[in-house]
Amino acid sequence: MMKELFPRKQVIGFIFSLVLTAVALLVYFMDMSFAVGMTILLVTAFIQAGLQLILFMHAGESEDKTTIYTSIYYGMAIAIITVLGTLLTLVWTYQFQ
Amino acid sequence: MEFFERFAVPHPSPAIYASMVAIGLTVIAIFAGLTYFKKWGFLWREWLTTVDHKRIGIMYLISAILMLFRGGADAIMMRAQLAAPENKLLDAQHYNEIFSTHGVVMILFMAMPFIIGLMNFVIPLQIGARDVAFPRLNALSFWLFFAGAMLFNISFVVGGSPDAGWTSYFPLAGNDFSQSVGTNYYMIAIQIAGLGTLMTGINFLATILKMRAPGMTLMKMPMFTWSAFIANIIIVFAFPVLTVALAMGTLDRLFGANFFTSNNGGMDMLWANLFWVWGHPEVYILILPAFGIYSEVISTFARRNLYGYKSMVGSMVIISVLSFVVWVHHFFTMGQGAFVNSIFSITTMAIAVPTGVKIFNWLFTLHKGKIVITTPMLYSLLFIPLFTIGGVTGVMLGMSAADYQYHNTMFLVAHFHMVIIPGVVFAMLAGLTYYWPKMFGFMLNERIGKWSAWTIGISTLVAFMPMFFSGLDGQARRMYTYSEASGFAIWNMISFIGAAGLAVGFALIVYNIYYSFRYASRDIGSDPWDARTLEWSTHTPVPEYNFAKIPQIDSVEPFWDQKKHGKKLFEGELEKIHMPNNSGIPFIMGILFFLWGFSFIFAMWIPVIIFTLAIFGCMAYQSFEKDHGRYIPLEEVEETENKLGGNR
Amino acid sequence: MKIDHSLPLEYSTEQNRLKILGFWIFLGAEIMLFATLFASYFVLVNGTGNGPSGAEIFEITPVLAETILLLTSSFTIGLAIHAMRLGNKKAMLVFFGITLVLGLAFLGVEIYEFVHYVHVGAGLQTSAFTAILLTTLGTHGAHVTFGLFWGLFILLQVKKNGLTPETTNKSFIFSLYWHFLDVVWIFIFSFVYLKGMM
Repeated sequence: MMKELFPRKQVIGFIFSLVLTAVALLVYFMDMSFAVGMTILLVTAFIQAGLQLILFMHAGESEDKTTIYTSIYYGMAIAIITVLGTLLTLVWTYQFQ
Repeated sequence: MEFFERFAVPHPSPAIYASMVAIGLTVIAIFAGLTYFKKWGFLWREWLTTVDHKRIGIMYLISAILMLFRGGADAIMMRAQLAAPENKLLDAQHYNEIFSTHGVVMILFMAMPFIIGLMNFVIPLQIGARDVAFPRLNALSFWLFFAGAMLFNISFVVGGSPDAGWTSYFPLAGNDFSQSVGTNYYMIAIQIAGLGTLMTGINFLATILKMRAPGMTLMKMPMFTWSAFIANIIIVFAFPVLTVALAMGTLDRLFGANFFTSNNGGMDMLWANLFWVWGHPEVYILILPAFGIYSEVISTFARRNLYGYKSMVGSMVIISVLSFVVWVHHFFTMGQGAFVNSIFSITTMAIAVPTGVKIFNWLFTLHKGKIVITTPMLYSLLFIPLFTIGGVTGVMLGMSAADYQYHNTMFLVAHFHMVIIPGVVFAMLAGLTYYWPKMFGFMLNERIGKWSAWTIGISTLVAFMPMFFSGLDGQARRMYTYSEASGFAIWNMISFIGAAGLAVGFALIVYNIYYSFRYASRDIGSDPWDARTLEWSTHTPVPEYNFAKIPQIDSVEPFWDQKKHGKKLFEGELEKIHMPNNSGIPFIMGILFFLWGFSFIFAMWIPVIIFTLAIFGCMAYQSFEKDHGRYIPLEEVEETENKLGGNR
Repeated sequence: MKIDHSLPLEYSTEQNRLKILGFWIFLGAEIMLFATLFASYFVLVNGTGNGPSGAEIFEITPVLAETILLLTSSFTIGLAIHAMRLGNKKAMLVFFGITLVLGLAFLGVEIYEFVHYVHVGAGLQTSAFTAILLTTLGTHGAHVTFGLFWGLFILLQVKKNGLTPETTNKSFIFSLYWHFLDVVWIFIFSFVYLKGMM
C-alpha cells in the first residue's frame, strides 16, 4: 500500500532535487571564482527546472505534448533573450567601454 | 471638503469644465433612456452578462470606435495648436496631456480592442467552433479592458490626465516631475486592461490549438486565424513584461520605491528598456492581425487563392521571434554605445525582410486576379503603397547612426503614423466593412464607403507626409509650439488640413452606418461578398451556436470548394447543442476592478482593501460554483435552422 | 458531457483538456513575468545607494529552510496527484493537506525574513536593490499565498464532491501551479541568494 503511494520515480526525483540543492550550496560554503560559481548555479538550476517539468509536472503525457513543450521552450528562449539583452544594454556595455 | 480636493483637475480650462458637463449629461441621458424604454433587463440579459464571442466582439468594436473618436479629438486639438506658429489655443501642460492620452488611447484602447473585437467575432466562425475555449474568461477579458479604458478616460475630468507621453519615461513620469495623479492613472488603468489582454491571449491560443473543426490542420487554417494565432503568442509572452514594468512604476509613484529614480541606486533607463521589451512586440500584435485581414480581403476580391500561403505563415513565425529582439532601436540615443546599437540595428533590418515577403505575396495574389474593387478592397489597395512609405522610413530609422538625426523628431512621428494608420487602421476599417453584413445582416453603402476610403487615404498622406520634411528640418515631437522663424509653419498647416480631412473621412463612416442602417437591403443572404472561408458558410444572422453541424474540412478554402466543386461541408444529423451559460460575474468583476483602480490611483487604501477582497471573493465564488452549461434542445435547433433559411 | 475513460479523470472531458492546456500557456506567460523581474534584479543588484547589499542582509538558515519546505511540498503535491490517479481519495487529501501546511510554513519563514530585512534597514524605499529584492520575493510570496487559498478551496471541494472530472482537473492544474512556484523558487534561491552570498 505505502509502496504504491510512493512511486520510485518521484522519490528518486525528490532525492535528486535535494542533491542538486546541496551541490548548489557548494558555492556558498566553498571558495571559488565567480565564473565557476555561476556555472554551478546555472547547471543545477536548469536541471532542477527540467526535473520538475518532466517528472513532476507530466509535461509530456498528453496529446498536447508538442504544444506544451513549445510553449515552455519558447517562453524560456524569450526570457533568456530578455534577461541577456537587458543586461547587455544596461550593464555590460558600460563595463566594456 | 479637503477629501474632495484631490479629485480636482490641477490645470483646468473652460473646455475641461464643458467636458465634465457633457459627460455628466450623457451619463444621465443613457440612464434615463434605458429606464424610459425599459431596456435594463434586456441590456443585462443580452449584453452585460453574455459569454457569446460574437456579442463580446461587437462590444469590443463599439468601444474601439468610441475610443477612436476620443483619440481623434485629441489629435485634432494637437494639429490645431500646431497649425500656426506661437499659437495660443493650448498651453504646454494641456498639450502634454493631450499627446499622452492620444497615444495611449489610440494604441491600447482603440487599436487593441479593434483587433481583439474582430478576432472574437471571426475566429470561432473561421475555424468552425461554437465559441472560444473559455467563454466566461473571454467576458472577463472584455470587462477588464473596458474598466481600464473607462478609468483612463475619466482622468482628464477627475484629478488630471497623464502628461509624460504614452511612453511615460522616467524620471519625467516620477513623482518629482509629474506631481498630479495623471501618471497613476496611466500605471493602473493600463495594468487592468493589460490583464484582460493577457487572458485574451491565452484564451485564443487554446481556442485555435484545440477547437478547430475536424480536418483543419494548422496548415489549413485561414490566414486571419494564423495571424491572430501568432499575435496571441506574442501577447502571452510580451504582456507580462508590461505588467511588471507598470507594477514597478506604481511602487515608485505610490510607495516611494526607487526603481526608476535618479538616486538610491535607481535606474531610469530600466523603464525605457522594459517598456520597449513589451512595446516593440506590441507593434506586431497590432500589425499581424491587420495583415491577416488584408490577406482575407485581397484573396476574396482578387477572386483567387492567396499566393504563397506557406511563406506567409513562415514569415509570421519568424516575426514572432524577431519582434522580441529589436527593442533597443527605440532608444538608440540612450548611450549604450555602437556595439549594442549595431546588434539591434541588424535585427531591425532583418525583421523588414519577412514583412517584405508578405507585401510581395499580396502583390502576386493581385497579379492575374480578377480584381473587384469594393470598399474593403479599396482600403487594402491603398494600404500597400502607403504602408510601404511607413515601412521604408522605418528602415531609415533602424540605422542606428542615422537615427541620431531622426530621433524624437516629427520624422519619427510621421513614420509610425504611416505604419499604424495604413497598416492597422485601414485594416480595421476594411475588416469592419467586410464583416459588417455577417454581424448585422445588412451591408454598408459602397458609394459612401469608397468616398470615406479615398478621403481617409488622401488625408493620411496630406497629414503625415509634411512631418517627414519638418522632422528632417529639426522640428522636435511633443513641443507645443514653434517660432515663425523656424519655417515649420507651412508644413504644420498642411498637416492640420490633412487631420481635418481624416476627421471628415471618419464622419463619413459614421454617416454611412446611419444611412445603411436606414436604407440598406436586409435581403443579402449569408455570403454577400462571394467569399472563400468558413465564416461565410453559416447563416446570417449567425445563430448563437454558430454551426448546427460541425463542418468537415479538407482544404484552406473549404467554403469555396463547397460552392465551386460541390464538396460536402456539413454532414450528419442535427443534434442537441451544448452551450455555456451567461454569467454576471465578469461584469461585476469589471466594476470592482474599476473601483479598485480608482481607489488605488488616489491612494485611498481602505477602499483598495475592500475591493481587493471583493475581487477575490468573486474568484472564490466561481471556484465553488457548479456550472455545466446547458443544452439547446434538438427541436429548437431545427426551428432556428429552418427560420434562417434551411439546414446547412 | 462526454467522458473518455481511457484517460486519467482530469483529462477526461474536452473542457478539462482545454483547461490544462490553457494553464500551461499561462505558465509560459508566468515565465516571462518572473524573467522580467530577474532581468530588473540583475540590473539593479548593485544599485544599493546608501542601503545594504545582498551579502550584508542575506541569512543562509531561513533561505535553506524555505528551499527545503518548498521542495518537499512540490514532492508531496506530486504524490497527491499520484494518489488521485490511483483513485485513493484519502491519501490524496492527506498529501494535498501536507502540501498546504508546508506552503504555510514556507510563507511563515518568508514573513520572518521580510521582517528581518525591514528591521536591518532594507525596506522598500531604501534603495533600488532592496526594492527589487522585496518585489521579486514578494511576487513569488504572493503567488504562494494565492495558491494556499486556491488549494484550500480545491481541498474542500474534493472532500465534499469526491474525485470527479471537475475536482481532479482542478487539483491537477493546482499541482502544475505549485510545481511551477517551486521552479521559480529554485531560480530565486540560486541567482538571488546564493549568487548574492557567493
